[in-house]
Amino acid sequence: MKGRLIVDSHLDLGFSALQVNRDLMQPAATIRTHDPMDVLDNFGSCTVSLPELRRGKVGIVCATVMSRLDPTDRATRTGMYAQSQTHGVGRGHLAYYQALDRLGQVEMLHTRRQLDNAEHRWREAEIPADGSGPPIGVVLSMESADPILDPDQVPEWHAAGLRMVSLSHYGTSTYSHGTATEGGLLPPAGPLLKALAAAGIIIDVTHLTDEAHWELLSCYDGPICASHHNCRALTPGQRQLTNDMILSIAERGGVIGAAFDAWMLDPAWRRDLRPGDQQTAATLQTVVEHIDHIAQLTGTSQHCGIGTDLDGGFGAEQAPRDLNTIADLPNLVPLLHEKGFSSQDVDGILAGNWLRLLRDHWRDPT
Amino acid sequence: MYTLREREDLLAGQGPSGPHPDALCKLPRDGAGKGIPTVALPEMRSGGIGIVLSTIMSRVQVPHGALSDGMRTQAAAHAIGQSHLHYYKALERQGEVTFIRTAHDLQQVAAAWPSRGPDSPIGLILSMESADPILGPDDVEFWFEAGLRSVSLTHFGINTWGHGTGTKGGLYACAYPLLEALQAAGIALDVTHAADIAFWQLLEAWDGPLHASHCNCRSLVPGQRHLSDEMIKALADRGGVIGVVFAEPMLNPDWNFDDPASFSASTAQRSMTAVVDHIDHICQLTGSIEHVALGTDLDGGFGREWAPTDYDTIADLQRFLSILERRGYGPADRDAIAHGNLLRFMGDVLPKGSP
Repeated sequence: MKGRLIVDSHLDLGFSALQVNRDLMQPAATIRTHDPMDVLDNFGSCTVSLPELRRGKVGIVCATVMSRLDPTDRATRTGMYAQSQTHGVGRGHLAYYQALDRLGQVEMLHTRRQLDNAEHRWREAEIPADGSGPPIGVVLSMESADPILDPDQVPEWHAAGLRMVSLSHYGTSTYSHGTATEGGLLPPAGPLLKALAAAGIIIDVTHLTDEAHWELLSCYDGPICASHHNCRALTPGQRQLTNDMILSIAERGGVIGAAFDAWMLDPAWRRDLRPGDQQTAATLQTVVEHIDHIAQLTGTSQHCGIGTDLDGGFGAEQAPRDLNTIADLPNLVPLLHEKGFSSQDVDGILAGNWLRLLRDHWRDPT
Repeated sequence: MYTLREREDLLAGQGPSGPHPDALCKLPRDGAGKGIPTVALPEMRSGGIGIVLSTIMSRVQVPHGALSDGMRTQAAAHAIGQSHLHYYKALERQGEVTFIRTAHDLQQVAAAWPSRGPDSPIGLILSMESADPILGPDDVEFWFEAGLRSVSLTHFGINTWGHGTGTKGGLYACAYPLLEALQAAGIALDVTHAADIAFWQLLEAWDGPLHASHCNCRSLVPGQRHLSDEMIKALADRGGVIGVVFAEPMLNPDWNFDDPASFSASTAQRSMTAVVDHIDHICQLTGSIEHVALGTDLDGGFGREWAPTDYDTIADLQRFLSILERRGYGPADRDAIAHGNLLRFMGDVLPKGSP
């Protein structure tokens, strides 16, 4: 069976491999047997690994460098006291992708030609049941810009493959207020945004506060996206995008990746309970409702994408209840059709819209 | 007067399961409990610790029990290793440390020591504990270019290359091409954490510079984690230098790394004079002051609870030097231990470099 190519605009593969300590070359079922109890408690049942991505034909992913300033973080093992530490952790994530590239498990995508080839290779690929297949195309992204020590370091990160950056994550980064805080951009954001724009790196508005979102849009006119973000009209809370924010991203030609975290899909999800002690009502249909909301609001499916975040510190217990691993993403296809999306729309939502955005802003060396 | 120490890992605790590192923060001055950190850059400066061997530390080992920081694949160990490297490079960018890559760099840092300021960068020689982050012989060049100048093949347990502390066995076949590549690159071999069989295989296979970055004496504390008298003599014959360790489990004869039943949760009972006993033993056995140095390991996964009882932070190494003098080591001997021997050893290991 051939199936459709899927692009996932937000996975934390490096974090999952290095901080959670999972061998991502194994199927999820094997990783679940490896994970000790404390990992299961903190990060849930594994849903993402390279064989699962291949089985779902998720052939191109934006994979993060993820470390932030956060002395109170005791859960994710990536919150740090000093920017030098976040830089070290972030370079570790990059080095993991480079080591997988060396093994032929992934291909780091630096140029438009590489992106085109990866798309072609994956569109043509038959889906093997055993999770073997071509290398996964990796677009390097960054969640919280703390690992960039200063604007002068942007070219170094760009040369390493960095193509998408969010300024903040949870808490307050060097550059901006982020999720669960109140406040706007911080003074170092200005020079950093200039350097990122000069390098052609796309700004990801996910995890900005409301204030920082609007401040960023007013002081920065380069390309933007929201790598893993749902709709506040359906799920309340600062972590989601208001209708005005969705429109502001669409006006700039941005794409919004639908996130598969029950906390962002299910208004009844309780953060004060452990994931294993509750069951979400959210299903893949709920994800489709968020995608449809964006399409109805903007009048087009061109700003809709997939940005699952399925290895972002939670597991199957906190994912849509009809999803076992990321290999189940193709089950979205009939649901999208039922919702009235055309075959062309579905291709755009699953892959084409992200590929268009990346292509529009990648500058190949001449 | 400065102290050349081996094996300082500013990043200890940054690994997958460790506590948050405090390297650039002031150390907590109160509180008692497991893992209270004692090593940070300000304390190193106030203790006159000017040059360190600082590790890349990650190994392939199924995580279990106390050894929960092993990684499942070499790709992941390599990446953790690079995160340590880039932490040091970030510190260098901020002027906190300066990499020592050549003999010329070493001379420069040593020469600048007497006129140092309160914020002078600390000289850092990159080392590696467990060679799992080296993906193969063709990855040696990358690490050498990054500054790597000393490598131990193993750590706790069995890794990609052979048997380490707590196991019985030798090297694996894949270790030999790696050793050739390390030797050709001009990297020193650190025999610390080699199992006994592996130790003697290493000595046979290796023609280059050899040392033991952090090891004590088996005749004083039992177990293969420590060097037997034959091993000490063999290292001395090859011009090696042995860094002595400031950790209760390596100073207390009731402990034995080969026998988990001997592991005690109790806090330290020995003062820094117990370290002098190991120095005495090495000097007596080799008939020389030239083969001993400091390789404290004081941030190697433990805190104040296992450090000597009269030790609070790494700044107290200056008091250790006074203890050495009280035990009969004159200024020349004291300086040889504090820095002279390792400066000589590393000066021979490092490529010359341009003046």
